[in-house]
Amino acid sequence: MRPKGGHAKRVAASSLRSRMDKSVSPYIYIAPFFVLFAIFGLFPLGYTAWVSLHDWQLAGDSTFVGLDNFAALFADPDFWNAVANTLGMFVVASVPQLLIALLLASLLNRPLRGLTFLRMGVLAPMITSIAAVAIVFSQLFSRDAGLANWMIGLVGVEPIDWQADKWSSWTAIAVMVDWRWTGYNALIYLAAMQTIPRDVYEAAELDGASKARQFWRITIPMIKPAVIFTVIMSTIGGMQLFTEPLLFGQGELSGGSLRQFQTVAMYMFQQAFEEFDYGYGSAVAWMIFILIVLVALVNFLVSRRMSGVDK
Amino acid sequence: MIKQNRLVYLTLLIAIVISVFPLYWMFVIATRTNDVVGQYPPPMTPGGELGANVARLFEAEQANFALGMVNSAIASVAVTVSTVFFCSLAGFAFAKLRFRGRNALLVLILGTMMIPVQMGIIPLYMVMVKLGWQNTLQAVVVPFLVSAFGVFLMRQYALRAVPDELIEAAIVDGSSSFRIYWSVVLPALRPGAAVLALFTFMGTWNEFIWPRAVLEADNPTVQFSLSQLATEYYTDYTLMFAGTLVATLPLLAVFIVFGRQIIGGIMEGAVKA
Amino acid sequence: MTTQVRRGLFAAVALAGLVATAACGGGSPAGEAPKAGEKIELVVKTFSKFGYTELYKKYEAAHPNITIKEENIAQLGDYLPKLQQWIATGSGAGDVVALEEGILVQFMAKPDNFVNLLDHGAGSLQDKFLEWKWKQALTPDGKTLVGLGTDVGAQGMCYRRDLFEKAGLPTDREEVGKLWPTWEAYTETGKKFVAAAGKDARFFDSAGNIFQNILMQQGDHTYFDTAGKLVIDTNPGVKAAWDTTTAMVGADLSAKLQMWGPQWNAGFKTGSFATIACPAWMLGLIKEQAGAGLTGQWDVARVPGSGAVRGGSFLAVPKQSKHPKEAAELATFLTSPEGQLAAFKAESNFPSSPQAIDDPAVQSFTNAYFNNAPVGKIFGESAKTLKPVYLGPDNQAVGDRVGEALLALEQGKLDAGAAWTQAIESAKRTAK
Repeated sequence: MRPKGGHAKRVAASSLRSRMDKSVSPYIYIAPFFVLFAIFGLFPLGYTAWVSLHDWQLAGDSTFVGLDNFAALFADPDFWNAVANTLGMFVVASVPQLLIALLLASLLNRPLRGLTFLRMGVLAPMITSIAAVAIVFSQLFSRDAGLANWMIGLVGVEPIDWQADKWSSWTAIAVMVDWRWTGYNALIYLAAMQTIPRDVYEAAELDGASKARQFWRITIPMIKPAVIFTVIMSTIGGMQLFTEPLLFGQGELSGGSLRQFQTVAMYMFQQAFEEFDYGYGSAVAWMIFILIVLVALVNFLVSRRMSGVDK
Repeated sequence: MIKQNRLVYLTLLIAIVISVFPLYWMFVIATRTNDVVGQYPPPMTPGGELGANVARLFEAEQANFALGMVNSAIASVAVTVSTVFFCSLAGFAFAKLRFRGRNALLVLILGTMMIPVQMGIIPLYMVMVKLGWQNTLQAVVVPFLVSAFGVFLMRQYALRAVPDELIEAAIVDGSSSFRIYWSVVLPALRPGAAVLALFTFMGTWNEFIWPRAVLEADNPTVQFSLSQLATEYYTDYTLMFAGTLVATLPLLAVFIVFGRQIIGGIMEGAVKA
Repeated sequence: MTTQVRRGLFAAVALAGLVATAACGGGSPAGEAPKAGEKIELVVKTFSKFGYTELYKKYEAAHPNITIKEENIAQLGDYLPKLQQWIATGSGAGDVVALEEGILVQFMAKPDNFVNLLDHGAGSLQDKFLEWKWKQALTPDGKTLVGLGTDVGAQGMCYRRDLFEKAGLPTDREEVGKLWPTWEAYTETGKKFVAAAGKDARFFDSAGNIFQNILMQQGDHTYFDTAGKLVIDTNPGVKAAWDTTTAMVGADLSAKLQMWGPQWNAGFKTGSFATIACPAWMLGLIKEQAGAGLTGQWDVARVPGSGAVRGGSFLAVPKQSKHPKEAAELATFLTSPEGQLAAFKAESNFPSSPQAIDDPAVQSFTNAYFNNAPVGKIFGESAKTLKPVYLGPDNQAVGDRVGEALLALEQGKLDAGAAWTQAIESAKRTAK
């Protein structure tokens, strides 16, 4: 309703409200997150940082040692092994996963029959229990009687002890991770694709652009924020990989007889809770944080460039 | 044209089969007796024991399964409603409103997701002890009412899904920012919000590590309940999976409801000029 | 729906959700110092099945001012993180906690997380427990007792009668026991077995399992000396156990299976291994996995060498308990010979008290599935003949490193020499 009569006064008042609203309201809208974080997030963060500066045994005493834990970490071959494993598994798992998710989303973005069923079907892994996942994939990659070895046997390859080597364990774990998360990412892409108006495609079609060209030149750039989102989230998730390698190794935190597939998160957990070295484990946690920030930054810059020049 | 469609269907079908198989197998085991579980090749067809296994499920004292389902339902609904509301509001603010420190604060929020959660259990438990919230439902709800993930997701959707012109027009009209959010942004965000709601509900429902840490077996959430069905030296898989199956049904329901929302919002968005 | 109604409905739902969570709260009441004669609730934290339900009733009847609340977590793997959390934060451990042997050993590094039971008259209880079990919870200077023993994972050597028969070996358990008075004899028997069995079956399931048993018979300490120093490379007992085990692996006696994995579980039925060192708790598992079709085909003989035990638990009183005196009394009651006997009858948890072991109920205990083997007698003997062995606080972690090196050997990733080096190097890093 437009204000009538006393117009100038009301305009002035509403202009003041509107200015206040513009300057104050954004902070109010983002405040809930920060309030909760201040209570439930800040203390654990600070505590972990504090603990990492101590030789702190879970059962026992703690003595302040400054940055000794971090110095020890730099010289720790098991830590760097875990870093290499994590990065390796991340690349092997995430690159195919996001590409397949893009493909899946574009396939689901068509007028097809039974669409709801198909679209939801790819999310089934998210509601499958961890216990079932563990059993199915243990059977799949079992050395003596597993489906995977049976399949490669069909083409004449010797059975593989999947847990014995880096490359085989990374592949198996990548399969587990991709199985679980591809549909999830596909759905995120799909929801973003749905905001692209049909006439953009129609115009391109009239111009003679092929489906593939339309995909790379129209779809991807227009869903760039979603792509960046999935790249960053899968980076964060990949660097924190914990559940899948643990299940693959029958719940052993060591990740293989020679730590073939131990991730940094598993190493951190092992140090803190299996070896009771809480201080050292906390230091590992902060190193993981730094690692994630670095890798996420790199991936963010790369994906921003690759999906087209935009803001 | 038809050939291409056939290929598309085939690919999707394969993707579905791979995705759904473990779920199906879970269902098969839940309907069988225990002697067939270790068999090789494993059983592929359902049996008739579902009723018996589900009865055993609810009778299992140590699991408190019925209470687990109720607690999880309350927690998941509360967290989902709160998350969608507050995260879409914050996401809108980060995407469309201009304010000082916007980028820095966004990066800060992103940063909070990069800290490994496992080390936070012990200090967070200390916070709960201070608040007197051990073994209470609020301990598994309140810390999660707004999530960094949700804020980030909503911001990314809001960037594209909400046309700047509409917002400009509303501002000229004299609407407050909240009104803009409620009437313009939220409807446009529907597919994204539905995705967030779905993921948040599933995430809360499936949460295990933190509930195990802060709750006891007499006031569990559903995943904790399920872990109590196991015994130390032998796992009764038919019981376990009967439990998992029942525990998955609410997820399936939410799935279908929100699936429709996503599709519905999707269709609207697709026809937009 | 109109905007107004939607807005109102939304707010109502959100509010209801938050109110519901607040209302449905109701945590455990904070502990208070007891006044004389006042009602006391003792919280007992357990994992798995200790079999104390009837005992609690008996105790409450005899002590009307005490009620007992047991808070149980089904799996040890879920219990341990909670226990660590309770001890580290100083809250939540209740009044009596169950400590599994592996974690007890770690807590012995800082015994003052727990009440010293010697201060509550536990000194008079020493002869009620097996010597090695008593010593495990006692600090090396003998001044602090952290826990009282509950059960032990006493072992026998389970074997497949039908597979033995096929390979031309005796099947009667006395005869079989005579086949392997020492681990060397066990190896020789194994070689005979695999020569006859061919590709179909190996002699035992995994090197790690066997190694554990051999190691515990090698003297009064293993990886650490009583001063807490890592001696894995200098203790001849460790090397002896290692060499015996690697010789077995070299003779192709191991089925190279990972414990708890799907193939290991299936192996009981498919016969991938003919023997396995089996603690009391494994009997139930074997029966379930092997199935009704193999009733009477699995049997139990004695273990090579003298004394074999795998695991076991204790009850302790955490320092944070508000009622240490009453808690210590309850723990004493539950771990008494009578208490252990009751737990045995309820859940077949094998006692750590010689008086309980000698009780006819235990001695005459047979297992029908295992060809009516007198398991009570067999396990009793192996539990009694074990000598005290000092385990340092990092025993579990170092043991895991050695087990991993053995696994690498079995996987063919390292030869015996390289695996030994790997075991020592990684043990040193772990115990730093």
